[in-house]
Amino acid sequence: MSPTTPQYDVVILGAGVSGNLIAKELGLAGKKVLILEAGLAVPDSREEYMENFYLALAKTPESPYPALAGRQGSKLNPVGELPDPATLPTPRATVLSIGKAPDVSYLVQQEPFNELHKNDPNPQNPPADPKTGDVRGLQFSSTFERNGGGTSWHWLGTSLRELENDIRLETKYGHGRDWPLDYSELQELWGLAEKEIGVAASVAQQEPLEVVGLKYPSGYQYPMQAIPMSLVDQAVSGAVAGLQVPGTLPNTPGGSDPTLYDVFVSPTPQGRNSEPYDDRRVCAGNTNCIPICPIQAKWDPTVTLGKALDTGKVTVSYQSVAYNVAVEGKNATRVDYYQWSRDDKGNLTKVSKSVTGKLYVLACHAIENAKLLLLSNNQKGVANSSDQVGRNLMDHPLYLTWALAPQPIFGYRGPLATSGIESLRDGEFRKYRASFRMEIGNEGWNFSKGDPYTTTMDFIQGTNNSNVNPPPGGSGQPVRLGGLKLVQQLNNIFTRQFRIACMFDQSPLADNRVTLDVDKATGKPNNVDGLGLPRPKVEYGLDPYTMEGFRMAAYVCSKVYERMGATEFTINGVGGAGDFTYQGVNYHYYGAGHVVGTHRMGVDPSSSVVDASQRSHDVPNMWIVGSGSFPTVCTANPTLTLMGLAFKSARSILAALNS
Amino acid sequence: MTRRTPPSPAPIPDSEIQDFADMSAALTGFQSSVLKPALDPLNLAHEYYVFAVAQVGQAAMTTLLNAYRAIKTQPAQQIADTLLETSSSSPSTQAQLAQSIVAMWYLGSWYVPGVLGGGGFAPPSLQVISSVAYTNGLVWRVMQSHPMGYSAFTFGYWSQQPGSLSSFGVNTGNGGGQ
Repeated sequence: MSPTTPQYDVVILGAGVSGNLIAKELGLAGKKVLILEAGLAVPDSREEYMENFYLALAKTPESPYPALAGRQGSKLNPVGELPDPATLPTPRATVLSIGKAPDVSYLVQQEPFNELHKNDPNPQNPPADPKTGDVRGLQFSSTFERNGGGTSWHWLGTSLRELENDIRLETKYGHGRDWPLDYSELQELWGLAEKEIGVAASVAQQEPLEVVGLKYPSGYQYPMQAIPMSLVDQAVSGAVAGLQVPGTLPNTPGGSDPTLYDVFVSPTPQGRNSEPYDDRRVCAGNTNCIPICPIQAKWDPTVTLGKALDTGKVTVSYQSVAYNVAVEGKNATRVDYYQWSRDDKGNLTKVSKSVTGKLYVLACHAIENAKLLLLSNNQKGVANSSDQVGRNLMDHPLYLTWALAPQPIFGYRGPLATSGIESLRDGEFRKYRASFRMEIGNEGWNFSKGDPYTTTMDFIQGTNNSNVNPPPGGSGQPVRLGGLKLVQQLNNIFTRQFRIACMFDQSPLADNRVTLDVDKATGKPNNVDGLGLPRPKVEYGLDPYTMEGFRMAAYVCSKVYERMGATEFTINGVGGAGDFTYQGVNYHYYGAGHVVGTHRMGVDPSSSVVDASQRSHDVPNMWIVGSGSFPTVCTANPTLTLMGLAFKSARSILAALNS
Repeated sequence: MTRRTPPSPAPIPDSEIQDFADMSAALTGFQSSVLKPALDPLNLAHEYYVFAVAQVGQAAMTTLLNAYRAIKTQPAQQIADTLLETSSSSPSTQAQLAQSIVAMWYLGSWYVPGVLGGGGFAPPSLQVISSVAYTNGLVWRVMQSHPMGYSAFTFGYWSQQPGSLSSFGVNTGNGGGQ
């Protein structure tokens, strides 16, 4: 083979949602494809991952997946040690490392007050900028995986479509940024993604959401029947009938929207089987979509990877971490990567290799795509004439509230979430504050309080970490119980627990960004991974538009609980990762895992990184794909849309190969 | 569904394991036949006994079991209240061991006796005893459900009311703990 003949038609970096989908489409068209996957191979059976999960002390999203320290603690160290990212070939952001120093946290970030001032009795939240009202110095709290299949091993399965005004936010409401796509084109792409994933939903059940502009092409049907609503959903749905809330609260900066909006519950379109589909089983309600579905009733990217491999045209090289995309003239000409392995003693070794393709696809994840682009060309960067690579980092910051219903509603049963309040996702208020969706949880206070562990230990030991011992209405000291009394008390609490998670259409901010953690003057890395590559440094904050959304969400949750006769137990801390103060009230946000915006798409090459096909403006034989391309995070969970965009990219890649 | 490491053989009389299971039944509020069925492929009672003894020593376990044997004919709730010292404001070391045994059956994990949680969360457990311990935790029965990640139910069950507590093995009668 002459050195000028590329080895592959297309080299794809990353075996996640987008990379696998594009590989499959190209393989079906007879193109020769190589996927370089940074992490370990997809295991033959998920039993190994299940065992990791069962034995994990903290059942966090990352808990089933490789390269976390010990499943079990020791007598000396009951909680287990987290590994130093500098010793790992593919470290990643994890829930247990949020807000920690770089000896534990892969992402290099501002540490929160409570880490910097341990045991200080007067914790503080970061101050708001007096001019802008922005709160800076916060922690980006979403995590991701680096292994075959990627982060969507532990996606929830929520497969909502965006609203028309989600992608027209700037035109319609003068905020954020428009998407360079027509809604009708997205509708067609969502249809393809819903078929690939196998989304269970009913168009008729979604019709009431026309009030927020959700529309389907005439005659469209989902691939399979809807997932039934849980008893928790049914309780919330019945109670909120007739509830209306205003668009904005008093003292909203910038203006007001006094319109009253209907609050109602809708079944969520979900990427899990309600009937046998695609040779996979029907959902058995394991209540474990995150961290891992034990029976693969929920679609995950390994399903599509299998189909890609079945074409016979796709090869995967695992344990292959790209560190440079070489660009000569305008075009990418080569990818340099480390093939890593561990010897019998666990020592990490690496071999530097290169591969060539006619075209290249970066599908590494929003943060890893940005890191690789900035790292390439000796840290001068590629595909970044706009200076937008790494900027506009977004998430759905997640505001969690929780309550006890007045009677048993039986959480901890069914998929983790089967319904939500989607009726408040659009309105004139989007001129003034962030819109949000509300996800109803089927896992009691598992997310909120680490239950059933916390409440159980409270009633065994006579403590009150759950705030339900003494029980609501009770007085005096916490009780200790055993026997049938313990059963009855815990049954009384657990069967009434539920929670609501609100997820916000966060503003894109140029200063919320991923850069390389290197010394600016010398370019020398400050913190590296186990292969010696610089780590991502993340700066993050919230603007008043987004924080005003939190204030409204807290109000709506309180109204929902009031309607139900439920008792709210939401507590927001001070000084920890994700804690902030707005208009004198403390809030806490979690990461939703919806990492968005680091290589945004647009028409104008001076202010965006990729075009509507996710093709680089600067490097025409390179596509940069995934949720990093989203101009705004919108109001739907991103996986369905990012897969739809991958279908569009696959078409444009095929067109380029065939031209 | 799950793999497990068989407990290492130890010369423990079956009567000792039976007493441990009967005591555990009283402490947890469950039927002894749920904790130690006549046909018992999981052998959890044995596994838990061995694990607890390895943590606290044989003497502490023997003392607790002897305290149980002295009152084993009493009603189950009374046995639980006595051994857990539920009316005391400062439980003894022996009662704290009984607490850890309850936690082990409920949560499948070992909590070091006397170590309390804080900051809004449960104490850190030393370890999940085994995957079978996790998937057989009693707490999931208490909530009339299944372990997260281990459902024996079928599609759509979550839209229907669950079975009664007694159908999940809870001892709701007034009889003894056995």
